[in-house]
Amino acid sequence: MEGFGIWVGALLTLAIFSFLYRENPIYRFAEHLFVGVSAGYYLVQYCFSALYKKLWVPVVDNGQWLLLGGGVLGALMLFRFHRRTEWISRFAIAFYVAAWSGYVIPSILKAQVLTQVRSTILMPWNTPGLTWWDHLSAALILIGTVSILIYFYFSHEHRGPLKAVSQVGITFLMIGFGASFGYTIMGRITLLIGRFQYLFYDWLKLGSS
Amino acid sequence: MDRFLAFLERLMSIDRRWLYLAVAIAVAVPVLRPIGLPVKVSNETRDFFAQLEALHEGDVILFSFDYEADTNAELDPMSRVIWDYCFSRGIRIVALTLYPGGVGIAENIMNEAAEKYGKEYGVDYVFLGFNADWSGTMLRMGESFRLTYPAEQYGKATTEIPLLDDADKYADVPLLVSIASSSYAEYWAIWAGGKFGQKIVTGNTAVQAVLVYPYYQAGQILGFLGGLKGAAELETLTDLPGDATRGMDSQSTGHGLMVLFILLGNLAYLAQKIRQRRAV
Repeated sequence: MEGFGIWVGALLTLAIFSFLYRENPIYRFAEHLFVGVSAGYYLVQYCFSALYKKLWVPVVDNGQWLLLGGGVLGALMLFRFHRRTEWISRFAIAFYVAAWSGYVIPSILKAQVLTQVRSTILMPWNTPGLTWWDHLSAALILIGTVSILIYFYFSHEHRGPLKAVSQVGITFLMIGFGASFGYTIMGRITLLIGRFQYLFYDWLKLGSS
Repeated sequence: MDRFLAFLERLMSIDRRWLYLAVAIAVAVPVLRPIGLPVKVSNETRDFFAQLEALHEGDVILFSFDYEADTNAELDPMSRVIWDYCFSRGIRIVALTLYPGGVGIAENIMNEAAEKYGKEYGVDYVFLGFNADWSGTMLRMGESFRLTYPAEQYGKATTEIPLLDDADKYADVPLLVSIASSSYAEYWAIWAGGKFGQKIVTGNTAVQAVLVYPYYQAGQILGFLGGLKGAAELETLTDLPGDATRGMDSQSTGHGLMVLFILLGNLAYLAQKIRQRRAV
């Protein structure tokens, strides 16, 4: 992106930054422009990718008429826009929910439950070559997971040992939130760095690009 | 003491725009005048690099641009260094995106790297493009890339792409790289990894990185890059310094300022409490 494009990008960046001082018409123009351009871009990409490449070309050019079934199901979703015809869209939704559940549930169960539980209760003494740090890490993961699960156990009042363990759980949670917050700060500062690199290197040609 | 407490208390009512200005200065100055702070490489990045390093000349990897413009400051440096590293070693790449907005980003990175290393489209790399159904895409690619994408991004039939003669399903590619701003990285691990046994490494935004650790710890993801720091670490290991390495000085000064703000904020809160107690 050279010349004109860089200027447009830089001026729009400054327009968005102007919100930090106060709300203003220049900021609102840039915001509305962004929303409009994004919506248009998305619409074109989805139409090209789904309607044209996945439906029009296979059906019209290659004679794969069976795909029309999927196209009809998709079209049924549009009946949601009117109260009287809304019920028709449920056929498509029912098909989608059933198909999605069928292939999601086993995979999710395996990857997000069984594998995760297994790695949480890893027996370090059965795995050769581990360092003392690996042992400590395994113990911390086990203690942290169990104590956090107990913190979210609400069927009994948290008193006595239950309270003590749930206090350990909340400590782990707080450490987790702290780490998450630190990463979030890093992400947000990176966005600012990206904009500054664009303004200084690409637009003003200052420093090294 | 009272004057000091009063000063701290006044910080509670400081105009937020002064804070914005302080952050802007702390971040902008190192962008213009880099300090050159060292980058310490984490185990997650070492494991990521080990997977790349284990590839041989002529191997084909699958690369998914799973992000859009809102996170390209974090993720573009990762994509750029991986493409540079792979092309410099003669590794071929099949690319795709699961986001509509990823198309333009992918084209920028690919064209830049291909031009730099003199690579030919369709032979050394190919862009399958955006597919609207991400879950179906992940699943069906285990059977055939060509069936999932009858045509590549620019409308050419994938049967006419020579690169795909050598790589038409997960089993043909030794590594899948997902650079993701959302949970797509995890879904690659669930579908491609869990169902087809595909080796996966990911690059994630800093916000997302926390959620990837459980998959890394369980061995479902073999290595990952967390935010700009992860990108800078990979640039260090590959000896290909870029925007991430240049940005790390600003990252450090920005974080330092944040820590200072948090400390001052807490001290100011404490001072307010002390003065209120004394007043009663």
